[in-house]
Amino acid sequence: MSLIMPKPDEKTLSKSDSIISSLRKISKNVLSEEEEKAVYETDGLSIHRQRPIAVVLPETTEEVSKVLKYCYENNVKVVPRGAGTGLSGAALPLKDSILVVLGKFNKILEVDFENRCVVSQPGVTNLAITGAVQHEGFYYAPDPSSQLACSIGGNISTNAGGVHSLKYGVTTNNLLGVEMVLIDGTIIRLGGKNLDSEGYDLLGIVTGSEGLLGVVTEITVKILKKPQAVRAVLIGFDTNDDAGNCVADIISAGIIPAGMEIMDKPLIIATDNFAKAGYPRNVEILLIVELDGTESEVNALISKVLEIANKNKASYNRASESDEERLRFWKGRKAAFTALGVISPDYICMDGSIPRKKLGTVLNEIARLSKKYGLDVANCFHAGDGNLHPLIMFDSNNAKELKKAESFGADILKYCVKVGGVLTGEHGVGIEKRELMCEMFNNDDIQQQLSLKKAFDEKSLLNPGKVFPILHRCAEEGRVHVHKGKTRFADLPRF
Amino acid sequence: MSDIFCPNNQEEISQFVYDCYESSRPIEIVTLNSKPIGRSIQCSQTLDLRKNSGIIEYLPDELYIKVKAGTPVIDILEILKSKKQTLGFEPVDLGYLYTGKPNYGSIGGVVSCNLSGPRRFKSGALRDHLLGFTAVNGKGECIKSGGTVVKNVTGYDLSKLLAGSYGTLSVLTELTLKVIPEPEFAETFVLYGLNPQEALEVFSKAMKTSLEISGACYYPKNNINFLRLNDLNNSKSITALRIEGPKNSVQERIQALNKIFELKKEKTILEIYQSNLFWKIAANLECFSNSQNLVAKISVPPSEATNFVNQFCEDDFLGISNKYFVEWAGGLVFVEIDNHDPSYLILEKMRKFCKEKNSHLTVIKANNTFRRSGFFITSSDENIKILASKVKHSFDPKSILNPGKIYAGI
Repeated sequence: MSLIMPKPDEKTLSKSDSIISSLRKISKNVLSEEEEKAVYETDGLSIHRQRPIAVVLPETTEEVSKVLKYCYENNVKVVPRGAGTGLSGAALPLKDSILVVLGKFNKILEVDFENRCVVSQPGVTNLAITGAVQHEGFYYAPDPSSQLACSIGGNISTNAGGVHSLKYGVTTNNLLGVEMVLIDGTIIRLGGKNLDSEGYDLLGIVTGSEGLLGVVTEITVKILKKPQAVRAVLIGFDTNDDAGNCVADIISAGIIPAGMEIMDKPLIIATDNFAKAGYPRNVEILLIVELDGTESEVNALISKVLEIANKNKASYNRASESDEERLRFWKGRKAAFTALGVISPDYICMDGSIPRKKLGTVLNEIARLSKKYGLDVANCFHAGDGNLHPLIMFDSNNAKELKKAESFGADILKYCVKVGGVLTGEHGVGIEKRELMCEMFNNDDIQQQLSLKKAFDEKSLLNPGKVFPILHRCAEEGRVHVHKGKTRFADLPRF
Repeated sequence: MSDIFCPNNQEEISQFVYDCYESSRPIEIVTLNSKPIGRSIQCSQTLDLRKNSGIIEYLPDELYIKVKAGTPVIDILEILKSKKQTLGFEPVDLGYLYTGKPNYGSIGGVVSCNLSGPRRFKSGALRDHLLGFTAVNGKGECIKSGGTVVKNVTGYDLSKLLAGSYGTLSVLTELTLKVIPEPEFAETFVLYGLNPQEALEVFSKAMKTSLEISGACYYPKNNINFLRLNDLNNSKSITALRIEGPKNSVQERIQALNKIFELKKEKTILEIYQSNLFWKIAANLECFSNSQNLVAKISVPPSEATNFVNQFCEDDFLGISNKYFVEWAGGLVFVEIDNHDPSYLILEKMRKFCKEKNSHLTVIKANNTFRRSGFFITSSDENIKILASKVKHSFDPKSILNPGKIYAGI
């Protein structure tokens, strides 16, 4: 699959050997053999592959700082990478870049129950944070489905969400502080164990910046006490609209469930086959609602939710009677991506966010597009926060199908924006949705973001070719703000 | 006197800022009853945003409200109340602190200060509730970021940066805020007569339970006279824990607290009406009503709160007695410092404490002398200052928007 990336700098490529030997003086973990680099040539968006000049696995913040400083001084591009599970290609190496992998930053540095936080290195997995505190009944709230493998540092770069973000927020709402290295090697600390910093909220923009602003080397996250009681309920419907209305009605009733997920028939069957979750197989669409709080509160909420479900013509319901059963309900949902792999050779996963009340409409549109493109699609949604993950199935051996799948995906995202949503809820823009940014932003919006990028990385060495469009000029002449007959800021780069 | 311009809409704001950018004229941004917060600034132009007001869209089912930035906060709270919803960050009414009277001012002003109420440690800061915005940057360009949905990672999260930027990066014109269902019920569990250390131990214990405390504050004995609630004894220090949710759940959890702290003899429970009043008083800093002194907030790791209080607020042995109160389960201390020492030596010491203990101090009220020459935030890290300066430049290259309001020279 051809992907247009910034043109590799021949000068940099020609001095690859000298770059590698300089890096070896800084770090003992520099990989430059083709077979060694092959491991890192792609991330979770595996349709695109590229090997960098070298892969560096630093072990200390000082090492990261020296590596970046060297790159800054020698104009070498840098792509940071966590566990490589990202789905938008943000960690795809560039041919003329080095890849900085944080895999050796794999220690939890401090568990601090007094301040309800954990200080960790970025390469630690998301689930390991909970693992370090669960003996005291605490947990780390954001739980992307890849939590067993994805790194906490990577979570910060994409502002990862998960199935419980409706009530407990996404990464940005649970992150207290970071230590990070800027491209010139400067080490800074933002936030810490206290709740609010002073001055500009730099931590807020670093979160979700997809490795474009710096390399995070230490992380402080908030931990929460597990709720007293948690129960989940499965609710089946015959139509998309009924399920969509039920979700909206639950929220209107003032209930904020801990999680609220939707899967359509293809995924119900696939995940149930894969995880033996105990899902009903005769419903068209399945809603999983999780409620937490005190025991009596949870029971009361479940009755309320079921009442709302029945009003919306639910055809099936089952509330978990044990924690085992509840976890089984989730096991199916969390295995959605893996389960689909069994029934389709390839798929691409989209990640738009839409207003909740548009759930039914968008599902219907996806069904229409599926027919138009002749490709099957399975849907899972974080329904509570309107974040959808249509999984478009195709066969990568058929070049035409991949192209079709990508166009299908782009059409879905454009439709999300059209109904008042956004391109990406939690996976990030990366290379995948880069060219669609103009669907949401005009030239001034994008130029402002690019200016901010320059505040952190004047030479644009950190992860170039990601997030911002490089093919289009979003700004059609008619959309540029023209004052007194002159195009403003004519000297600014227009990508 | 500076020229005051009072535009009606975003287009007029954009044109005005653009003209000022072209002619390099600095602008002070004010809205409805703006308070003199931050460093004082000298500008030839004043941009008054009060006419850029009104609710654009309120969708209770979608849990958001979109408003023009000059909209009075009180109007927003009222319309939300009609649908049993509210702003989760409990906006702080600085009117009490500044004039002794309620006066929220505009939502744009509140967002620009990023001050969050008692629920902060549970529900996040104001910045966590700002879903998206449109604004005019320092070049007069209309920019936007975010949207109306809670999950959104499309491009940089500029909402976080603009919240709390005191109007120094852009002029906010439209804001989309997340709303939450009003808690169905609430009660407050109060313990009397604890010293600060005991109170902080209570917070620590309560926060390690799954009782979902949504407010935890401490008023020492020298700062309780102003509290006048029927069921509250205001002769001894007050340690308060709030619980919100469905009625039966609240009552169960209050009982659980009662059990955990059964050895503490002096306690009471504030029922919903008084509980709501109590936390409103706390959120609005009414204990510093119309203070003529300097008031600062210090965000600390909760484990350092006792240490801070002992050093700077209350120590009988050392004769330290500054009016203060502790919020956010020990995560925030508000302290009043009298103006007798014009060099504010104590502030310098606090600054040192903050540097050592990973804390941050922000002055939230000061007299004009201090506002002209003093520091507004601790910011001791030169690298952060350089970065902040570059960030400012990326939005406002000629530094015409509220120049110097947060950082001197930026």
